[in-house]
Amino acid sequence: MLLKTTLIRLLTTAVTLFGVAVVVFVLVRVAPGNPIAMMLPPGATEADIAALEALYGFDKSLPEQFVIWLGGVLQGDFGTSITLRRPVDELVLSRLPATLELSIMALVIAVALGTAIAVIGARRRGTATEVGLDLSSGAVLSVPDFLWGLVFVLLFGVLWPVLSISGRIDPQIEVDFTSNFYTFEGLLRGRLDVVQSTLSHMLMPALALALPLAAMIAQLLKQNLKEVLLQDYTTLARVRGFSETSVILREALRNALLPTLTLVGVQFTFLIGGTVIVERIFSYEGLGNMAIDAVINRDLPLIQGIVLLFAALFIVINLLVDLSYTLLNPRLRHG
Amino acid sequence: MTGSQTHPNTLDVMQLNIALPNGHRLLRDVSLSLRPGEVRVLVGESGAGKSMIGKAVLGILPQNLKVTEGEILLEGQHLNAMTPWTRRKTVAQSAALIPQDPLTALNPARRIGPQITDPLVRIHGWSRTKARETALALLDRVHIRDPKRVMESYPHELSGGMRQRVLIAAAFAPSPRLIVADEPTTALDVTVQKQILRLIRELQQETATAVLFVTHDMGVVAKVSQQVTVLFAGKVMEDAPTERIFTDPRHPYTRALIAATPSYADLDRPFSPVPQALIAELQDDIVRDDARHQGGAR
Ligand SMILES: Nc1ncnc2c1ncn2[C@@H]1O[C@H](COP(=O)(O)OP(=O)(O)OP(=O)(O)O)[C@@H](O)[C@H]1O
Ligand SMILES: [Mg+2]
Repeated sequence: MLLKTTLIRLLTTAVTLFGVAVVVFVLVRVAPGNPIAMMLPPGATEADIAALEALYGFDKSLPEQFVIWLGGVLQGDFGTSITLRRPVDELVLSRLPATLELSIMALVIAVALGTAIAVIGARRRGTATEVGLDLSSGAVLSVPDFLWGLVFVLLFGVLWPVLSISGRIDPQIEVDFTSNFYTFEGLLRGRLDVVQSTLSHMLMPALALALPLAAMIAQLLKQNLKEVLLQDYTTLARVRGFSETSVILREALRNALLPTLTLVGVQFTFLIGGTVIVERIFSYEGLGNMAIDAVINRDLPLIQGIVLLFAALFIVINLLVDLSYTLLNPRLRHG
Repeated sequence: MTGSQTHPNTLDVMQLNIALPNGHRLLRDVSLSLRPGEVRVLVGESGAGKSMIGKAVLGILPQNLKVTEGEILLEGQHLNAMTPWTRRKTVAQSAALIPQDPLTALNPARRIGPQITDPLVRIHGWSRTKARETALALLDRVHIRDPKRVMESYPHELSGGMRQRVLIAAAFAPSPRLIVADEPTTALDVTVQKQILRLIRELQQETATAVLFVTHDMGVVAKVSQQVTVLFAGKVMEDAPTERIFTDPRHPYTRALIAATPSYADLDRPFSPVPQALIAELQDDIVRDDARHQGGAR
């Protein structure tokens, strides 16, 4: 049973990734702009261009190019970046930790903030506080993440410059880590200066990414909480002497979180998508920023690598969401 | 039964009125009392206000309803005069609820064990060991096989009858002086109903706990109670000892309710619903009553 579901899962994953590979491959090639011409100085001859095209394999037909590229990918060779002249997998993997850390921090902020607001709203249901919180989260939700990014740059970077608005870490700090997970490795190594600096650089972009999701969680979770709070077992808990707050936290929250989890999973992938622009705004050295450079420079192998990695990431996240859903729901666990 | 010397009753409800914000009354001057160890049945048709009385006592009325007049005394203490916090603690110390629907009264995300022991530890201040031992003993007492395994189970792993047994055990665990049982058998199979009814009766007698038992079934009344309150439209029609209510019912509505109860012993006896004419007459009374009450209030 478990084996069968796992196999189906693996198969669909493979099919999805293949589909993504085909689509990206075709799209970046039909889009206007010749990457080779952009690499060479203005005076380059037709012959120079042709020679370089042959070097990168652009002289072959589209299906041929695809087969060659896919053959490489299957052996772990994602090609070489045209602009940066280094293996794509190496480049992409060196940037992934920055984006992951940023996304995880945004997710943690969104869940913590959203849950807190939902709990307060449910606790004060039927009062002006609830209405006020509803209105605020509606307003927050109507502003997309990159606009929040710009607002924060203006507020805390320009008008009241208290936070760093550019980069990933203070360039004065020397980092000789084995991985690029500055925050995690910094914590493990006890390099609190690194942790402190990366966190303070991440705070604003993470907050920009987190706010819309936090508002969404707040709205949905509060609605679920209010429904759960009408259930008989919460009434019984009140009769047994538990306060309204502990009824919410101990009896209602876990049941209300379950339906919220699916939303968080789907929205987390959107949040990661949002890093592309938000990283750009804050000059944060992550995958998204690299992706924009790659697109501007028509760096086809790099674009392909980044898109494939994002697709794989989304699949893994959906897998984790399904898994945690099963873990949190006793009915499914024993089913 | 010793009980409190100065105040012998476990529960006194005195001239209780509960109304909607627009002034419409759902309970009309309801009075009743329960001595320690006594079982009183609240009987009446759907919508008569039976559950409302239980909810008012336990402090779980819907937010839009208010107690407009009257007193509720739990072991002699005026509940209405208390702050919400004190009231909650007082009710939790001396009262418990056996709910109607065992399928929704247990938290689906939590194991059975903590759902019984949590209040004992966190509200009543017992040690974990004592709470666990009490829970195991009570689960055994309500005829649950393998109590240790059931403590580890989730509600969906138990049948409806088993869950109701669990809820009965949970209600009796902190040794309450009063238990409100709101139609505790209506959601169950007919075969299980009798067992559950007997179980509540037995435990009630062993522990001398007073029980306010809500039902719409006159058949249940004879089995469990010493006292009966017959309700119609939030108003007490008759309040009498059980043996008298069947031999000598005084109110026409009581007689109609008894006649409307199908008798399993005598299946040939024709079933006669409460006559419409009687209901209309009683409702006229209520309207006149309400008009007088409004006039008096102004
Ligand atoms: N929150 C509420 N708002 C308005 N009316 C209510 C509310 N709750 C209950 N009522 C009304 O109060 C009356 C008494 O309700 P109650 O639940 O006590 O009836 P009951 O005698 O327990 O009936 P049943 O046998 O159906 O459980 C009903 O007419 C019901 O419609
Ligand atoms: Mg009821």
